[in-house]
Amino acid sequence: MTSAVAQDDEATDRELIDQAHSGQWDAQDTLARRHRQSAFVLALQMLGNRDDAMDVAQDAMLRFFTTLDSFDRERRVQPWLFTIVRNQVRDLWRRRQQRPGDGLVDGEALAGQLVDSANPEADLQRQQLRKSVWRAVATLSETKREIIVLRDFHDLSYKDIADVLKIPIGTVMSRLHGARKQLKAKLEEGGHHV
Amino acid sequence: MSEPCGRTFDEALISGYVDGTLVQGDAQRVQIHLEDCASCRALVDEITAVRETTISSAFATPADHEWPAEAPQSTASRTARRLGWPVLAAWAILLAGVGLLEAWRDADDSLERLILVAGVSGLSLLFLSVLLDRLKARKSDRYHEVHK
Ligand SMILES: [Zn+2]
Repeated sequence: MTSAVAQDDEATDRELIDQAHSGQWDAQDTLARRHRQSAFVLALQMLGNRDDAMDVAQDAMLRFFTTLDSFDRERRVQPWLFTIVRNQVRDLWRRRQQRPGDGLVDGEALAGQLVDSANPEADLQRQQLRKSVWRAVATLSETKREIIVLRDFHDLSYKDIADVLKIPIGTVMSRLHGARKQLKAKLEEGGHHV
Repeated sequence: MSEPCGRTFDEALISGYVDGTLVQGDAQRVQIHLEDCASCRALVDEITAVRETTISSAFATPADHEWPAEAPQSTASRTARRLGWPVLAAWAILLAGVGLLEAWRDADDSLERLILVAGVSGLSLLFLSVLLDRLKARKSDRYHEVHK
């Protein structure tokens, strides 16, 4: 088990998936460690609260591994996991009888989860700006927020975004642009020009 | 489409331009327009700046110990299930055996015994076929290596 750890750090997701398919448990563990933080952050960005995000991220990881058998190794892990996270977030809203449009998050709470950079003194202004931007992101509808977050935080390609949101790839650019324009407007409303 | 600034393309192409996803022809059209249009240039700059701000952000993530230690599957439930089925099967076989023994002892004539034998043979064949399938499935079951 320990012998595999060093090489697992460099193994690609696809290699790890293959290893997991052949019953190697430490491959699953490596996959989990590699992807669970971004699953958590996506859930946090959609829900705005740590406890809910942790619940969703844990459920998503569990679901990720129970469906691993049927996972197509040609697909990429992150978009697939994000699809699961997105479904879990929606399930949570549904359980709480929120309509999808009610999925607003507390901007202060979300901005409060930002980590300061290594040198906070020099970077104070930039960090203030980040807080303002995330407060504004929190006020977007969840449709706009999710596409902004997927592209401009998690850095997914248009193709992967189409995959996660289950929309045609040709729709991604216009939806993203609409969301960016709205975010710009919200920032201006709040008196912030980036 | 023509906009006040003279742009002749869908504004969404500005986002595609920032993201570098446009086909060459579209990218050139945007590029040429940007040379003459300060307001579209400002939009490009703003989208770029906001993106740089969000993408360089970091959020507090749970420490390793906050995640369930026994990743990612519920091992307990699978172990319980793995133990549960053999126990249930043993119980059923025992019950059936006792029942059969009783019936054999209580049988009045050879016809009743013949019916019992026929029933048991049929059941045994069914059981055997299921067993063979299970053994075959076991070869491709990724969990059976766990104990090695
Ligand atoms: Zn223009």
